[in-house]
Amino acid sequence: MIEVQDLHKSFKTKTGLVNAVQGVSFTARDGEITGLLGPNGAGKTTTLRMLYTLMNPDRGNVKVDGFDSIKEAEDVRRRLGVLPDARGVYKRLTARENIQYFGQLHGMTQQEIATRTQALSDALGMDDVLDRQSEGFSQGQRTKTAIARALVHDPKNVILDEPTNGLDVMTTRGLREFLKQLKAEGRCVIFSSHIMQEVAALCDRIVIISKGKVMAQGTADELREQFGEQNLEDAFVKAIGTEEGLHA
Amino acid sequence: MSALITVFRKELKDMFRDRRTVAISLVIGTLLGPLLMFGMIKMMASRVSTQMEKPLTLAVQGAEHAPNLVAWLKGQNIVVKAAPDDIDAAIADQSEDVVMRISPDYGTQWRKSLPAKVELIHDSTRQDASIPVQRIENLLENYSRTVGTLRLLARGVSPTAMQSIQIAHRDLATPQSRAGQILSFLPYLLILTAFLGGAYLIIDVTAGERERQSLEPLLATPASRTAIMSGKILAACVFGLLSLVISLMAFKICFLFSSDLGVKVELLMSTIALLLVVLIPILLIGACLLTLISASVKSVKEAQSYMSILMMLPLLPTIILMINPVKNQVWMFAVPFLSQNQMIMKLVRGEVISSVEWAVYLAAGFGLAALLWAVAARLYHREKLAISA
Repeated sequence: MIEVQDLHKSFKTKTGLVNAVQGVSFTARDGEITGLLGPNGAGKTTTLRMLYTLMNPDRGNVKVDGFDSIKEAEDVRRRLGVLPDARGVYKRLTARENIQYFGQLHGMTQQEIATRTQALSDALGMDDVLDRQSEGFSQGQRTKTAIARALVHDPKNVILDEPTNGLDVMTTRGLREFLKQLKAEGRCVIFSSHIMQEVAALCDRIVIISKGKVMAQGTADELREQFGEQNLEDAFVKAIGTEEGLHA
Repeated sequence: MSALITVFRKELKDMFRDRRTVAISLVIGTLLGPLLMFGMIKMMASRVSTQMEKPLTLAVQGAEHAPNLVAWLKGQNIVVKAAPDDIDAAIADQSEDVVMRISPDYGTQWRKSLPAKVELIHDSTRQDASIPVQRIENLLENYSRTVGTLRLLARGVSPTAMQSIQIAHRDLATPQSRAGQILSFLPYLLILTAFLGGAYLIIDVTAGERERQSLEPLLATPASRTAIMSGKILAACVFGLLSLVISLMAFKICFLFSSDLGVKVELLMSTIALLLVVLIPILLIGACLLTLISASVKSVKEAQSYMSILMMLPLLPTIILMINPVKNQVWMFAVPFLSQNQMIMKLVRGEVISSVEWAVYLAAGFGLAALLWAVAARLYHREKLAISA
């Protein structure tokens, strides 16, 4: 379970202060998929980075299974599996070695790592590339490696930043099945996307973010009802106030 | 602790998979210095021997004024030829190293037993001309002394009356310290290898990893940032140590071969071990400093732009000591680069290093490394570190 309360974050740039996130609150429950939906530059990645303790919020707090992201950052990271926006798979290591490296950093034994690697490889369908050096991997193979690497320690909470970015239809379908499986295992899954259809198809709860603020949140039905639209897409447009991000 | 070891092992594995970079930095990078030194010793030895022994061709103007002197010179392995018309130009364009001019009144002066004038024309800034000039000067002095002695004898005066003081040198230079002159740039090569031997690796594992965007997932693991950084520094140090060992072995072999060339230096295994101890602090200082730089800059390119400045640092004490040689003092063993320079020279020259000097040296070296490590660790905790572009 991940509870996010009133997050604020701004950056100093040459052109002045950028308020990337200004008041984001939501709760992601176990056994549910929570989708962060918003156009490019809405503050999704920054929000997620505060969830996995890479950044400290200027204001507000994050609790993962009750642990505070600032005071108990290490406990929080232990309970999270994170696929950041930047996949960053090590090119000169094989997929298996990439997964193993993270397993060791989580303090797992070789036996645990081997068992878990096999299970993830089966679920993601990456047996054929497991022992290849990841130099020259396709986008899909890289994403799968990064996801397996992020989940090697069997985390209760999973954060995925735009997991389907740049993937073909078949790989995307496979990935959706995998996310549903994570949900069925009772995990708390948060994923961000700027693609409406994907969020609608997968998520139990949707959090619509635009310009660093939560514009609306709820189940698909609740959102349709809230904005008085039959179509989720129209509800989304009403929520963010523009048509931006719909056609990506 | 286990995270540190995990990161350390992964970085070494990752690096050694990049065979070409490893080959270039380990083989070419470390062997270049010893080869350069071997080549220099060989060239110097062959130059000195050929220039000292082979017949020297000397351009002489006005040979007809002093036929006896010229004839004597010819007997001393000198080939006399006519001087070019424009002597200054010939010296300037290096077609002649040295030209001897015998003044027209040589004969008259000679007969009056007054000093007869012989001029040596050369450019003292040309290294190449120094040996011929010295050779001619010695010969002329010899000739002058012989004739002077004969003149005194002819007048019934003992030639020893001319010598009011007899100067005798007792050279206390040991064979090692004599070779030390040739070795004056050995410290620079060794310090540079230790200081920047692992530079590409250390820039790659911090700035490079951020550029390839793998730092963000890495920092999302429970491993502490300090442990991750220390593992990376340790990997760079092991790589640096490896290049130092290869480099020292190459120097040992190089000196083995150059003993035939009149340079007697021996790098005993015990000296090599002590040299490694001396170089470990600078290894750590280099790795921590580069990590600090890599963590504070925006890109690999920016980090690499510091390299040219860093390469000059170990050269500073050598330059300062060349211009202003000072005696060893205890404070010197606390100054980075200067202290390594002094320690290495002492070891190579076979001198004793006192325990106070060791203590000051190691305390200052490791102290500075620890300070840099602490600053780098602080930078590693900055939010900006993980985020690229």
